[in-house]
Amino acid sequence: MDKILRINVSAEGGPTALEEGLGEYAGLGGRGMTSGIISKEVPPLCHPLGKDNKLVIAPGMLSGSAAAVSGRISVGCKSPLTGGIKEANSGGQGAQALARLGYAAIVLEGKPADDTLYKVFINKDGVTIEPDNSLKMLGNYATVEKIKAACGDKVCCISIGQAGEMKLSAATVAFTDMEQRPTRHAGRGGVGAVMGSKGIKVIVLDDTGMGMRKPKNPDAFKSANKEFVAGLKQHPVTGEGLPAFGTNVLTNVLNEAGGYPTKNFSTGQFKESTKIAGEALAQIEKDRGGSATQGCHRGCVIQCSGTYNDKDGNFLTKQPEYETVWAHGGNCCIYDLDTIAMLDRLDDDFGLDTIEMGATIAVAMDAGIAEFGDGEAAINLIKEVGKGTPLGRILGNGAKVAGQVLGVERVPVVKGQAMPAYDPRAVQGIGVTYATTTMGADHTAGYAVTANILGVGGSVDALKPEGQIDLSRNLQIATAAIDATGMCLFIAFAILDQPKTFQALLDIINGFHGLSLTADDVTELGKSILSKERDFNARAGFTNKDDRLPEYFKNEKLAPHGVTFAVKDEELDQVFNW
Amino acid sequence: MSEQSPSTISFIIDKNSISIFSIILQQGFKVFAKVGSSLESMLCDQFALPPEYLSNRIQTIFLDGKPVDDVTSTMITDGATLALSAAMPGLVGATFRSGGALSVFRSSITHREEEEKSNISAQGMITLKLFNLLVSEIGPAFLERGIWVETEIIKNLIEEKKTEGKTVFKSLKVDGREIGPDEFSRLNWNEGQKLIEVTVQIEK
Ligand code: SF4
Repeated sequence: MDKILRINVSAEGGPTALEEGLGEYAGLGGRGMTSGIISKEVPPLCHPLGKDNKLVIAPGMLSGSAAAVSGRISVGCKSPLTGGIKEANSGGQGAQALARLGYAAIVLEGKPADDTLYKVFINKDGVTIEPDNSLKMLGNYATVEKIKAACGDKVCCISIGQAGEMKLSAATVAFTDMEQRPTRHAGRGGVGAVMGSKGIKVIVLDDTGMGMRKPKNPDAFKSANKEFVAGLKQHPVTGEGLPAFGTNVLTNVLNEAGGYPTKNFSTGQFKESTKIAGEALAQIEKDRGGSATQGCHRGCVIQCSGTYNDKDGNFLTKQPEYETVWAHGGNCCIYDLDTIAMLDRLDDDFGLDTIEMGATIAVAMDAGIAEFGDGEAAINLIKEVGKGTPLGRILGNGAKVAGQVLGVERVPVVKGQAMPAYDPRAVQGIGVTYATTTMGADHTAGYAVTANILGVGGSVDALKPEGQIDLSRNLQIATAAIDATGMCLFIAFAILDQPKTFQALLDIINGFHGLSLTADDVTELGKSILSKERDFNARAGFTNKDDRLPEYFKNEKLAPHGVTFAVKDEELDQVFNW
Repeated sequence: MSEQSPSTISFIIDKNSISIFSIILQQGFKVFAKVGSSLESMLCDQFALPPEYLSNRIQTIFLDGKPVDDVTSTMITDGATLALSAAMPGLVGATFRSGGALSVFRSSITHREEEEKSNISAQGMITLKLFNLLVSEIGPAFLERGIWVETEIIKNLIEEKKTEGKTVFKSLKVDGREIGPDEFSRLNWNEGQKLIEVTVQIEK
């Protein structure tokens, strides 16, 4: 992983590829790399779909190695949805393949002269770029089928669907999984629209003939990896709960807590939640010959994903995640898993963020475009997006735009990005993170180890509400660092509970790169990523007024607990004071 | 048989069919219990859960929809709803864990002991919900001991499964009398009767 591939789409006669060394970006990976390049090279005031924005695709520091769960990939740009910096994270085979091909990043830059669509093919011999207008307005599934017919079933695809081509702000970048299906997505912030604006439909990675990346200190790496895997396996969350039920295991718990946003965030409990919870989902998957335990990439030992078959036992989609089941389910009062799975499939095919689309449809339902609970109407609305009808284009630009066009006040967004599946009135600490993260409302920012392990910012007094500020800060720092490694954030629980497993993670990084990082260094890495992102957003015009939740969270009480979001603005302003 | 509404139903089912009760265990069922005791005492002394199971496995507990941090000082009163779960993934999972370092994140909805109105020891009825890993681990013991469920729910369950007959229900006794699949639809359900006692034996 010692080179960066730059594809300049402005070049006369079509895109050109240039390989260069890492230079000042040496040692960076994942979010560290994407935010490093974007903050340095992209003018913060540029138009997200214009010539000056760049799309950076970067595997993590450990991707392509034998390190377990290290195959996550980051996609970064200036976001068309938020107008700020963006890192969207995905599973799939892309991280491993790209890293094994030796690339620490692919950077798409410039602006194409016309609307010709291109496909990029990368293998051990180099890079080929060809025009291919036969791919125009194909969904991700059909695109991958065409690539499979031409290049075989071993290659990995990074592609956009119709939403990316139409440059909609909810468009994703899709990555194929182990079964070569485009089910894994860098979902948030409209990264697919930026890929579409560069005229690149698909990047095909063929890592045939490329071995695994080799650690600098093989013995230390190997034993640390063994310890790390054992730690993940022995922990009840990563060893049992996630493999058995996936992330959707959270539905019952959030609902019981009254923090499950229902009917466009108008109440905190959904009467029908057990019908769509992870327990029911896993049962259906097993009954129909699918699977409730599967990895999103080779090398994942947690395996929180699965396969969802239709009533006839045919593949419909991968196991919808908690956020998807919530967004298209409870938030729209839909409780039929087949409908939710179909919506997930359509989102994956058109290349749309499931969280943004579920939140947007709920806003549209609030506006009376469809009835809450009407699954068929929800499916038709997503199909409108895929077709690019005027209503579809409004919805495909996310909840904020839809709310403005349709005259809805209750629009759950921060910095233009829709909130995920946790109501910030019931879980106020998450509200602090939603409000202040550089990414717009994002649940994964802050999804990591606690202060107690990383020891950043002092320890937290759990009895004082102010503790939420400290904790959110520490979590955001830790998350930024983990996002740089390429590790899946679901390792968090095991490293949170088991200091030995956390040490094993450090030892893996050190053994692989020949370093001697300590927990403090990891903290510094996280801080430096956040500082770059905050600086970019400030230069893009963001102020502390953007670090706020929509007003109604302070005024509208959430049932059943009757709570409002009570963290004060001045407190929110302290999150990045380190 | 058809004159009287059933008040108890006992099922004998194959172990592979236990999942048909999974939704009931998650939605909530009622059990009699001595109330006015601590949560820990109720779970371990009355429901016979091993203390180490409570401390290691049941890591997320809700009392009347509020996360509980301390099982020893939290008292259970008549009519309470108790939901039990294993540890949950991710930040929010960690946030809801009993006594976890992230509990500050949901401090505004956390259960506080002073909210309890009474701790007088007496017989009462509580609602219990079991989630995720606990459904199959401790659900069967509650089913065997006997639970009270809304009559409507059991009526619907029998209705839904009647075509599968003996493959699901090895035996079904209504008020102590064995009935066959042909009698399922002739049961006379009393609309006014809210709860029915259900016991489930699992054939090993
Ligand atoms: S735990 Fe889940 S999301 Fe994480 S790498 Fe494994 S399958 Fe992918």
